[in-house]
Amino acid sequence: MNVRSQISMVFHLDKCIGCHTCSVACKNIWTDRKGAEYMWWNNVETKPGTGYPTKWEDQDIYQGGWVKNGDTVSLKGAGKLKGLKNIFHNPNMPVLDDYYEPWAYRYQDLFDAPEGNDQPIGRAVSLITGEPMEIQAGPNWDDDLSGTPDYARQDVNFKHLSKAEQEAMFQLEKMTFHYLPRICNHCLNPACVGSCPSGALYKRGEDGVVLINQERCRAWRMCVTACPYKKSYYNWNTGKSEKCVLCYPRLESAQAPACMHSCVGRIRYLGVMLYDADQIQAVASCDESQIVDRHLGIYLDPHDPAVIKAAKINGIADSTIKAAQNSPVYKFVKEWKIALPLHPEFRTLPNLFYVPPLLPAMASVSEDGKYDTVSEHLLTGVEKLRVPIRYLSSLFTAGNDQKVVDVFKRLHAVRVSRRNTTVKDVSESQLNSVMNDAGIDVHMANAIFRLTSLATFEERFVIPAAHREEAIEMLENTGDYKGSTGFGFKEKPARGL
Amino acid sequence: MKLKLIGVSVSMALSSLSATAQDGAAVFKQTCSACHSIGKGKLVGPDLKGVNTKRSEEWIINFVKNAQAFGEKDADAKAMITEYGYPMPNQNVSDADIKAIISYIAENSPAEAVATEAAPATTASAPAAQDPALDPANASDEDILAGMNIFSGKQRLENGGVSCISCHNVNHNDLVAGGLLAKDLTKVYERMGAAGVNGILSAPPFPAMASSYKDNPLTEKEIYQLSAFFNKAASADVYSHQRAYNSNLLIYGGGGAFVVIASIIMLMFIERKRKCVKEDIYKRQIKSACSK
Repeated sequence: MNVRSQISMVFHLDKCIGCHTCSVACKNIWTDRKGAEYMWWNNVETKPGTGYPTKWEDQDIYQGGWVKNGDTVSLKGAGKLKGLKNIFHNPNMPVLDDYYEPWAYRYQDLFDAPEGNDQPIGRAVSLITGEPMEIQAGPNWDDDLSGTPDYARQDVNFKHLSKAEQEAMFQLEKMTFHYLPRICNHCLNPACVGSCPSGALYKRGEDGVVLINQERCRAWRMCVTACPYKKSYYNWNTGKSEKCVLCYPRLESAQAPACMHSCVGRIRYLGVMLYDADQIQAVASCDESQIVDRHLGIYLDPHDPAVIKAAKINGIADSTIKAAQNSPVYKFVKEWKIALPLHPEFRTLPNLFYVPPLLPAMASVSEDGKYDTVSEHLLTGVEKLRVPIRYLSSLFTAGNDQKVVDVFKRLHAVRVSRRNTTVKDVSESQLNSVMNDAGIDVHMANAIFRLTSLATFEERFVIPAAHREEAIEMLENTGDYKGSTGFGFKEKPARGL
Repeated sequence: MKLKLIGVSVSMALSSLSATAQDGAAVFKQTCSACHSIGKGKLVGPDLKGVNTKRSEEWIINFVKNAQAFGEKDADAKAMITEYGYPMPNQNVSDADIKAIISYIAENSPAEAVATEAAPATTASAPAAQDPALDPANASDEDILAGMNIFSGKQRLENGGVSCISCHNVNHNDLVAGGLLAKDLTKVYERMGAAGVNGILSAPPFPAMASSYKDNPLTEKEIYQLSAFFNKAASADVYSHQRAYNSNLLIYGGGGAFVVIASIIMLMFIERKRKCVKEDIYKRQIKSACSK
């Protein structure tokens, strides 16, 4: 057992309202720079939709992620032979138009325009060329099913759905959509790291954050192709690739990443998970039908004395182990089993888990023309959900419908349980059958409810001390600096230093 | 001063002349005898008997040094080249040596022959035909095979000379295509006859060939076997498959190379993401007048 710690996340999709506050918070901090305007380290997509960059899930186009190769995995779009073949170009890379051409408006023209017969306008100006441009696409133009023929109906996940099932998703009163906020998954088996010819990408030992060393990056852009989530971006101005850094400077000072801190719906949870690094290869290369179970099985119980002992041998700090024991992610993923990885079939073992959306709560119109909100109608079974299970299973479980159904049964049971507590119009037998079916008790239902709805900042974000002092001691002898640093001067004092 | 210089150069010229003049016989044997005889009939080139009286010394020097260039200026030389089908190879011999050869020829040309001039042209194989056992036409299959092996380099030359196929080609079913640097030897036996082949091989008159074999000459046996092979090759040529790519090497080779390089380049582009994924979306969009 080779225990390591990993900062992991859970996004609760039932709570996401699609406001893009996270995206804007991230943009203001990290990507509001020349060459980075088109990047959205955090973006919110509408599902069904094509996402950003367009059709990023279609690895026949972008050749990202890993493919099973015997008892190991190999990169779908990179590797020694493929690299040699494509040494002078990177054929499956998204081009700027696959994202969108970023622009700004000439607002100053509104003030400076001379008096005339026409209303002054602020023209759109490309942030790439600086020339006036025709806006053709934006990063979230598929928002809320807008442009449905072009975006929602082109959803890559539809290839697992029959034509009739697809059509049903766009019929009035049967329509459904949900949001899917995405950041870098800081995977356990990151394809971007595996693809980099310069060795510029690395996974931080202490918390598993995947970073690009800007000094070593040589603009190969293999990571852009290799990342199946398309969360590595090339900065055309600096000639280096960039990606989500999980706001590690904030994490190191015990603050939540900006996207999570700013989240209006409080859908985001962050905590430490302990995992067994020895299993990565076996899990990543297991059969696709097992990949969700094997992936979730790689995370270890932080209460297990054997795990704690092995963690200490590997130098994991006590504070980190304690954080892992209190981790909300561990509760969602392992204890309650209601969070699933996004596209596990890419075999990167992502560390961002999603609670799938139980949507929508179905009210029916009663005979007198009013909404019927009686529990037995409102909280109908999982099988009567509008959203096809098949669609969600292609998103979260590599096509395993039962896994999604299991999660929904638990989410549904929590609602029935809470309805019983607050409205008290659920029959004992109905409650018991739902709870038994889902395999949870009232205690767990309340715990899920509490962390979902009432959680405080400290419960949602359990951030361990970063112990940067230990990281520094690994590289330098702090004794060398004793007595040499301290008070600084802008101008030398007259008596000298 | 000037006089002194002239005196020195004249005396040098004289001394060099006297030094080489004695070697007329040796030079003739080394340089000319492969193709020419004196009074023994036509070999590859004409019988040189009495040439000293037929042509001026200057004419001979010009012809020997660069027959082709001279042929363009001189009608007699041109007629000579036309008669034999190909110009005599340029000989890297000094004027003095040529003069020595001329005097050697003059000494050895019987007077009566000069008077009657045109001796009846003897057949090409005449000198070699003296001994029928040595006639390549009667060679055994083993000798022909050995000759082919020598030609192709399968068998090393005894004195270490370079194998013929490096520069020459012979159309033969059992041989790969030979070099294109020197003349095609498929029909050499018909063209030059046993004596010519024998003469060229024993004392190569062509500068490149001469320098190649100067220090490692062919043995008589090798010459015989090669002659036998050339004889066989010339007669078997009509039955052999023509290696058309010999002359079309550039077209076939260049074409082949183009196909290989093009397919390597195509390999790079195969499976390539060729267009923006939003192309269909853009096509549906209504374009405003301002941007095309």
